[in-house]
Order: sequence, then structure tokens, then C-alpha cells
Amino acid sequence: MGCSQHIDATSVTEAISILQSQGDKAVLVAGGTDLVGMLNNRLISPETLVNIKTIPGMDYIREYSGGLRIGALTRIRDIETSAIIREYFPVLAEAAVSVGSPQIRRMGTLGGNFCQEVRCWYYRRSPATGKTFTCYRKGGNVCYATSGDNRYHSVIGGKKCFAACPSDMAVALASLHAHATLAGASGTRSVPVEDFFIPLGNILKPGEMLTEVSIPALKPGSRQKFLKFRHRKTIDFALCSVASVLEVEAGVVADASLVLGGVAPFPYRAKAAEQVLKGQPLTEDLASEAGAAALRAARPLSLNAYKVTIGRVLVKRAILGVDM
Amino acid sequence: MKQRVTLNINGTEEEVYAEPWWSLAQVLREEFGLGGTKIACNTGDCGACTVLLDGKAVRSCLILAVKAQGRKVVTIEGLRGKDGGLHPLQQAFMEHFAVQCGYCTPGMILTAKSLLDENPAPTEEEVREGMSGNLCRCTGYAKIVEAVMAASARMRGEHR
Repeated sequence: MGCSQHIDATSVTEAISILQSQGDKAVLVAGGTDLVGMLNNRLISPETLVNIKTIPGMDYIREYSGGLRIGALTRIRDIETSAIIREYFPVLAEAAVSVGSPQIRRMGTLGGNFCQEVRCWYYRRSPATGKTFTCYRKGGNVCYATSGDNRYHSVIGGKKCFAACPSDMAVALASLHAHATLAGASGTRSVPVEDFFIPLGNILKPGEMLTEVSIPALKPGSRQKFLKFRHRKTIDFALCSVASVLEVEAGVVADASLVLGGVAPFPYRAKAAEQVLKGQPLTEDLASEAGAAALRAARPLSLNAYKVTIGRVLVKRAILGVDM
Repeated sequence: MKQRVTLNINGTEEEVYAEPWWSLAQVLREEFGLGGTKIACNTGDCGACTVLLDGKAVRSCLILAVKAQGRKVVTIEGLRGKDGGLHPLQQAFMEHFAVQCGYCTPGMILTAKSLLDENPAPTEEEVREGMSGNLCRCTGYAKIVEAVMAASARMRGEHR
């Protein structure tokens, strides 16, 4: 192990300057719920751990003109229990409750939930077991899942890497049209949440960090639902999830936002399904049709076609606002 | 390079030199010989490494030892009843046969301790939710929940 120092950063500027000077030898650590497990399994061995939990003023949930700004160091538990989020953005509260376990949610942060590594078992194989899969993500030139056991991998949008985006928060936030703020040495930029994720990781450039997620104002009375299908009720990642935000006026869908998790390397916006819904009277048949449209782009691997079946049903149920 | 960490473990001020990547679980077991804290998954899934950090249940395998600087850690070895004997949770786990192989037990008891400190009179559903991050491979969940409910009643002075 080369890890030689642990620095308590006191400002975003300081954290960025360490990242800039040390390149990929330094990694940021906040709640540590993903990163420390990776250290334990020797999946990563950075020279410098930059603790950003010591940066003041990055843990907040603030209202602004009908929308919300959430600091990257806000704990998942605080999102889950926030009265504002429960009342106005319940899709986000429902996603938060589904993350990990109570202890993980008390430690894990929003920024960490976005930046956590994928769950692919080839990628996550600990070198301590005596075998390492040097895949695309590790700088190799092969994805072991495409010809191996890919039951938990992507059915849409895989490119080189087929691991699915593990973040539940990003799925709900994308359905709310949220933006992520990325800070670098030359200032900040803002990107739609679903564009933050790419098949080999995320769009953060060297020396950049995620500082905030902002949710725009939403028309009151929207119908929101987050559904997550997984093996266990707790401590488990989504095989498939859906976040749905609908504006329904006099029984007709005025606007629809539908995002799927667990099926792609990024939160997958089901635009075809949104189009199916818009302007139509909301019926069970329409919801089924939207479910079919949502997964039309799917190209399953050898062992994960079941995700398409689950996804269609989850989309339908989310639209109708029924539970699992 | 090792860093000096001072922390309070089970009521005693301690000092240790820890590498920046060492977990608290590793330090408790290997530097202090406190084997009651188990390391099973080592990735935060199972809850066997649960300790109390400043009174709250946390996964010690996910906490860097250097982050425990200046904080209070209680492990299963440090849990006591008011009379210095077994804590009511430990007593209840025995009486309700809530232990099979025992590997999850320290984490279960400390998670329950944190839960009852926050909510002294939980419903069975609240106990299940509060304990949902701790895995028992012997699947003794029914008896574990019974034991936590019984300890809760006893700690509130309602004998049963």
C-alpha cells in the first residue's frame, strides 16, 4: 500500500488544489461508506486521502425560489428525514430510504452516493483473493461481463463497461431535472444529473469535485413515485428502479419525467415513455404502453433480459402510483 | 506514514499509531486485541463490526482509524449494565436464545443499544427497521427482535 497521508481539507479550494497537484494519486473521502471498503479490499491504494468532511458549509438543504439546493456533504439520512423533501419532493425521500441501511445512510453523503464505484463483481474482485480482472475500468481492454456473468449489468447504453450506475439518489434527482455543480480551479459548471455519469465513471475532470445538487421549482401537486426492485429489502442495490414525476391535470398527463436506474451506466431517461404519456388521459393501458416504450431501447446481455420485464412493470406501477 | 491517534475506548484514554488507510475495526482488533468487534464483509454490508462512536452505532470497518481522533468508542467488551454485570440487552439475547453462531451478536446488540437510546419504546416494526442493516446468517431474526423488545421493556422498568 502506498497510501501515505490523510489530510483534513478546510475549503473546496484547498481540496481542489490537492487534487490538481497530486492528480490521481489523491482521492476525496467524505462518509467513506464506499471508499473505505475499497481500501479494505485493496481495490485502490491512493497516496493521499483528502478528508472533505472537514470543509464547513457543504452540508445543507436550502430552499430557493421554489426549488432546493443540497450540499454534496449532506447525509442521505438528512435527505430522507427532511420535512421539505418529504412534502415537496417525495420521490427523493423515497429513494433516500432505499439506500443501504440506517447506519450507511447516517454516514454516507449525497456527493458520495453520486461518486461511488459500480458494483460489477469483476471490477470489485479484491486482489487479496489472488485474482484481478483488469477490465476497461482498470485500464485494460476487455469487459469480462459481456462474455461472463452479466446478470446485474446494463441492458441499455453500455459502452466498453456494462456495469450499471449504482446511485439511487441520481435516479430520483434526474427525474426532478436536477443539476450537479462541479467546482474546479477555474470556477464552477453545472450539468444535468443524468449527464454526470458515463460508462467508465463520471465527467469530473482531474482537479474537479461535486459540490452541490440543485432541484428546480416544481408545479405543486405533481405525482411522484420511486420504486426499487432488489433481492433483499435492505442493504441492496437496484436490479431495476424507476423514478416518476407526473403532472396530471383533469385526468390528462400534462408533463412526465421518467428515469430508470440499475439498467444503464447512467440514470436512464425514458424519453419514448415520456412522449407516450404526454397529452393523454392517464389510464392503466397508457401506463402499460409507457412501460413497454421505456425499455424499447434495451439490448440485454446473455443473462439479464429479466431486467426488461421488471422494468416494464415498474414503470407502469410508478406511473399509476402503486407500491411494489 | 503512521499518524498518532488518541481516542477513548471503553472508558480508557488510549493512543495508537495508525496508517491513514487502516479502519477502526482493524485497529480495535489488531492493536487493542478487542476481538468482540467482528470483521466479516469488510465493506459495510453486514454490520458485524458495529461499535458505538460517540454513542451512535457505526460500522467500524468503514471508518478510518484516523477519523476516530478524540472520539469515544464503545465495543461489546465495554457494554455493561448499571450494576456492572450484563447489560439488559445481553441478558435478553441470552434468555431469548437470540444467539446461534454468535458472529453477528456484538453488532446486533450495539445496534440495538443505539436504537433504544434514541427510541426507548420502539414498536416491533421500528426494531426491524432499526436492525435492518445487520445480517444474521443463521437467520435468527425473530428471536433477535423478541430479545430487543424484551430488553426495551425491561429497561423501561416493565418486567416481562
